Amino acid sequence: MLICALAVAFLSACAGTQSRNTDPINDPWEGYNRKIHAFNMGVDRYVARPLAKGYDTVTPAPIKRGIGNFFRNLNYPVTAFNQIMQGKWQELGESTDRFLANTIFGLLGFFDIASRADLPYHREDFGQTLAVWGWKDSNYLVMPFLGPYTTRDLLGRSFYGYLHPISYAAREGVYWPIPAELIQLRSELLPLDAEIDAQYDPYVFIRDAWLQRRTNLIYDGSPPELDYEAMLEDFEE
Amino acid sequence: MKRLLLSLLLSALCCTAALAEEQGPEELIRSVAGSLLQKIGTNEAQYRANPSLLQDLVRTDLLPTMDVRYSARLILGRAGRGISEEQLTAFADTMSEVLISRYADGMLEYRNRDQLEVLPLRGELNEKAQRVRTRVRTENGTQIPVDYVFRKTDQGWKAFDVVVEGISYVTTYRNQIMPQVQEAGIDAVTERLARGELKLSE
Repeated sequence: MLICALAVAFLSACAGTQSRNTDPINDPWEGYNRKIHAFNMGVDRYVARPLAKGYDTVTPAPIKRGIGNFFRNLNYPVTAFNQIMQGKWQELGESTDRFLANTIFGLLGFFDIASRADLPYHREDFGQTLAVWGWKDSNYLVMPFLGPYTTRDLLGRSFYGYLHPISYAAREGVYWPIPAELIQLRSELLPLDAEIDAQYDPYVFIRDAWLQRRTNLIYDGSPPELDYEAMLEDFEE
Repeated sequence: MKRLLLSLLLSALCCTAALAEEQGPEELIRSVAGSLLQKIGTNEAQYRANPSLLQDLVRTDLLPTMDVRYSARLILGRAGRGISEEQLTAFADTMSEVLISRYADGMLEYRNRDQLEVLPLRGELNEKAQRVRTRVRTENGTQIPVDYVFRKTDQGWKAFDVVVEGISYVTTYRNQIMPQVQEAGIDAVTERLARGELKLSE
């Protein structure tokens, strides 16, 4: 569930797509996925959530914000590479300006001065690039510890190691940033816990929310409109 | 006396004219959100002490701008075929009560930190349906896109879906509730929603 939650966070931060008809869910491995989901929820309940809550309680808000900014800033190399792969030149310029400003004048990204200057934050990754290149539909896949993915996004994630500073550090034998970032991301998701707990079926909620958010990222915030008319016809027929 | 009558008549005319010129979706969002935030701001301690007061406020201020029956029909989809008007109303009312209490909680939690920005309307959908795009600025400086989808009814524009970061309220509930209704029937699902038994057994 750390992961689930993370994924929902990544909802707030990261990629799977769905065609926008009325029953858009591409989940042929639901039986397997639900088992892993239950396992992840247990990991979250007994490990990730308590750690994140502890961190959240002892850390002053400005520090938390700074640490969140720092990790967000580190996404730049992955984002920039994928902006090039997708030919998003204007966004590449904005992301580069943002990265330079926050790294140089914002204490290595601790202060997000670019947001104050209204420089937009873009988030791209290999999964999104594969989707833009045409791999629109991919099966939903829940990974142990890692949470929601699609086959496409899992493949995309495997390229991370060469570009992301945290993966790079791990290759050099420096591992502490990995749990540090996970705890930070999980703490940002704490307000979502109540939402998830209140759901009829948390598995379906996390899956649908994650897939929809992923689609939203792939389309940079302007996904195809939902087909409300078709949903209504469903009801009226 | 004549002057008084005349001015009364005039003001009555003005009022009717104002009523006839109905608010578009964008103005609705601005005015409703603005007045809600202002009321909560002035009586915050009171609302914190007594959450049901805040729920009443959300019910009276927000609910009239929403088309909960339409949302309910979208959520039910084919699982709702053949249900009676009464069953639909009961389901819609229960869903909206669930939403109201969650919305009220959310407003207390986020009010202080957030700023709402309504983006210029884009000419999307059609003359009967429109999407209003807003941005909510959060504590850590990021902006969360929150869209409201409106449709034109006989009583003016009404919202029937909320889309947060691309996540649609209607779609998300639809996929959870449709199978439940197909399995247990509409009355049982409405009852469970009303009792706050939202969770499935593991």
